[in-house]
Amino acid sequence: MSSPSIAPGRQVSLPSRAVPLSWVLLLALLVHGPLLLMQITNDSYDADFHKFFAAHYAQHWFNPWNEKWFTGFSQTTYPPMEQQWMALFSHVIGLNLAYIFVQLIAILLLPIGVYRYARIWVGERAASYAAIGSVLLGSLASLVYVDGQLSTTWAAPLYLIALAYFYEWAREGKAMALAKALALTMAAASAHHVTLLFASVIFTIPVVVIALMDRKRDGADATTAGVISRSAIFAALSLGGIILVLLPYWLALKANPIKQMPIPHGSRENFFSQGWLAVNYILVPWGAMLLAVPFIFVKGLKESRLRPLFFGFWLTMLFALGGTTPLPRMLLGMLAGVVNVITGANVHNPFDILTFERFSFWANLMALPIVALLAVSLIDRYGRKAAFVLGTLAAFTVAFAVSWPVYHPIHDAPFSTAEVISFLNRDGHDKFRYLTLGFGSKMSEVGIGANASSVDGEYNSARLLPEMTQYGSAQLTNSKYYGTNGIESLRAVLKHADQYGLKYIFVRDPYYEPLIAFAGWRKTEVYDRGNVSLWVKDGISPAHRTPYGTPPTAMEGILWGTLPIGSSIIALLLMLMFPDKRRKLEPIEFPLNANEPVLREAR
Amino acid sequence: MGRILAVIFAVLTVGLIAIGTVHGSRNAQASTPEGAVQAMFGNAKGHDWNGAYSYVASSSNVDQGGFIRDLTGRNGSLRTYSQLDSVNTRVLHESDTEATVRTELKYATAVGVSFDTRDLKVVKEDGAWKVQWPAEKEVHVPPQVIPVNYLRWDIVWRGAGDDWGAQNVENPNCRILSMNAVERDGGLIIMGEVENEDTVPAFITVGAVLTDNAGKDVAEESSFDKISHVLLPKEVSPYRIDFPGIKKSDVKSVRMTHDWMLVPASADPVIGVLHQRIEKDITGRTVLKGELLNESGTTVNIPHVLATFYDNGGKVIWVSDAYSDHALLPQTPQPFSVALRDDLAANVHTYRVTVNHYSREN
Repeated sequence: MSSPSIAPGRQVSLPSRAVPLSWVLLLALLVHGPLLLMQITNDSYDADFHKFFAAHYAQHWFNPWNEKWFTGFSQTTYPPMEQQWMALFSHVIGLNLAYIFVQLIAILLLPIGVYRYARIWVGERAASYAAIGSVLLGSLASLVYVDGQLSTTWAAPLYLIALAYFYEWAREGKAMALAKALALTMAAASAHHVTLLFASVIFTIPVVVIALMDRKRDGADATTAGVISRSAIFAALSLGGIILVLLPYWLALKANPIKQMPIPHGSRENFFSQGWLAVNYILVPWGAMLLAVPFIFVKGLKESRLRPLFFGFWLTMLFALGGTTPLPRMLLGMLAGVVNVITGANVHNPFDILTFERFSFWANLMALPIVALLAVSLIDRYGRKAAFVLGTLAAFTVAFAVSWPVYHPIHDAPFSTAEVISFLNRDGHDKFRYLTLGFGSKMSEVGIGANASSVDGEYNSARLLPEMTQYGSAQLTNSKYYGTNGIESLRAVLKHADQYGLKYIFVRDPYYEPLIAFAGWRKTEVYDRGNVSLWVKDGISPAHRTPYGTPPTAMEGILWGTLPIGSSIIALLLMLMFPDKRRKLEPIEFPLNANEPVLREAR
Repeated sequence: MGRILAVIFAVLTVGLIAIGTVHGSRNAQASTPEGAVQAMFGNAKGHDWNGAYSYVASSSNVDQGGFIRDLTGRNGSLRTYSQLDSVNTRVLHESDTEATVRTELKYATAVGVSFDTRDLKVVKEDGAWKVQWPAEKEVHVPPQVIPVNYLRWDIVWRGAGDDWGAQNVENPNCRILSMNAVERDGGLIIMGEVENEDTVPAFITVGAVLTDNAGKDVAEESSFDKISHVLLPKEVSPYRIDFPGIKKSDVKSVRMTHDWMLVPASADPVIGVLHQRIEKDITGRTVLKGELLNESGTTVNIPHVLATFYDNGGKVIWVSDAYSDHALLPQTPQPFSVALRDDLAANVHTYRVTVNHYSREN
């Protein structure tokens, strides 16, 4: 069988036009659709956490007080948008598929966001390459399939699209662009507060600078003062909008400021101190993009229009390196110092609270427009060979990130929590509180299914029990991983079992058995073929409300159930009802390539 | 301009990484005795056993396997459930060729924080300080048959299908023998003894509720692990309940709470306590020392020693406890040490040691 003949020695160039966005979305669907349907993402770190929140919204949409964790906590401590969408979809397709579906929407939004953001900096064709790159990012795959950071992956594209409209508003003063930018910014805030907090600096400032630089470009005729004043209007309205849509969150934060000891996290370490850290936090999220870093430095600093983007990228990249460089700790420490001077508060260095893996994702997103320029020049120069190599590298990047947990497992062998849930839901056992030890993120799975309340929980910022906030450890179920802090926190909670009505402990890891045996619990049953054992303490009174935390008011519940999801619906309606005017097509250079026939078959 | 800027930023990036990385490096040649000890334990903490062993002096006569087992524990002991948390060192004596370094090791164990203080000899070998590791003698129990004829109590509970009114087995009779409240280190401590007066084993928990002058409950705590929860017939256990931050003057009364229930139990393993004596440890603190002897034929993984100290009048004046980080092999004595407050040492007239234990299921 012979292949189509091409005259030897002749380079066949790829179309020098942009790849249509619909094709990029199809690629995203092709790459991530099967992976999502295989439910790989359901085993990610935070998947059960999101499902736990969503399960509560599905049952109690307007009551964010959830008694299933920490003896009771308010879900207004975490922005709810994607979890509320999951709750809505779960009534039709169930919680697991709802999670997958909502994650898929975020993945499909990303190339749109990256395309719109990249168009600020580069041409149509490079922007479309950047959008392709966003589908195949190692950091995206890592966040989706390993970390389960649904919120980060939702907030980033919304914010990128918002910035594209902000750029339009800043230069051209179009009111509709402002309205869309504001709606999308509020929706992004409703998806993830941390993204917005940092994105407002690292993504926005470069766009403000480029808007100033481009004030007279492409038919715009803005003044410096005009751009700055419009930026200020956008900032003020955004701030007001964010305060409004997340009002119950701010009230909860004011009532219970996050006062807890720092909890160790790998992303705050020096990544070169241990091999797996370097792989986990550098090789996996960056993948083949590491090869493009020298080009990003040279190109990003050579072209004056790209410099604001480069500076934003560079700073974000250093933050993505966590504790590898002293800069993030230093800068965040200075920031806390400034806040303390202004407000008189005693804010600790946020470096010890933040996790830095998401910064790799943001740095990747900022690098994409420049990397796309590299792709354009390589494809122009080497044609299909370059396209093949770039595609292969991108494919390996995403494959490596998705498969990384296979080589570096994040979970123990799977086990069933069905019997645990069944025990808690029968014979009035839910009158008492329970604790799981060694369950990892399966703790949330038990929380979703069981009616009983636990003293533990998976969202560190919502913890109010003094036995937990006084020690630098996270979930009690994983306390052995937090050294003396972890085990002392566990001891402190067990000592107060009587006060908390903590009668049942489900043990998956025999490591914890000596402590609970010496502390007076007795092993009574085993489940899942001996994988899990139940330990019971006699003489414990039924659980009652603890004095930690105050349930949100009915009005806060109504606001929480309407404004965050409402902002996303408004953004969607604005986009659908007032579509952007079709951009004027870029002139295509003619002839495309003087040496090439238009149709290969005509040769 | 662009290229120069690129070079500047590249150098800046590499420089920042270098600052962060060099600062955290661990595997340098030890130039001081303390440095050698810190480096050895630093590597052990990071499970870099080759790195840790490289700081062990060749004159120690310990192979790497034995060194690792010394640090990570044997026979399912508490040390096998531990991670090294921090190391504090202080040079006690130093010459050109050798030094003695007092080393305080803090472990996170499955039952709480554990401390181990050692005086390590450090010697100079090939221009670098190395630790002369005191290798633990590995005990091998000779093959033997140990007859076990101790009592065991099994229980048949009332079943769901039994006639209404059919009598269930009764809970045992237990009694709190004594209660003494003292204020120590800014907190109130309630201690005493509890006895199973019955002829069947009991599972007991003891707690206390403090009420203030207005009759309001101000605090509630339990004895947690400072008690033997399973008491065989006629057995006595000490208990201690700590109320940190509460002053005796703020408390009007103490209401003792307890719960005892019938449980299956066995008198096996029997753990004997030998050669008890009060003396000073290497740091000068008063301790009760002795040896534990596991008289049964199975390994006790984690022994928990509870010591009750009495004054002339037989009153309980202190209760303290300690977990041993070594397993009790059959018929093999194992030293133990329990802290006693220095200010109480002179008042102690007699003492009694009971041993609680945890044995892993095979």
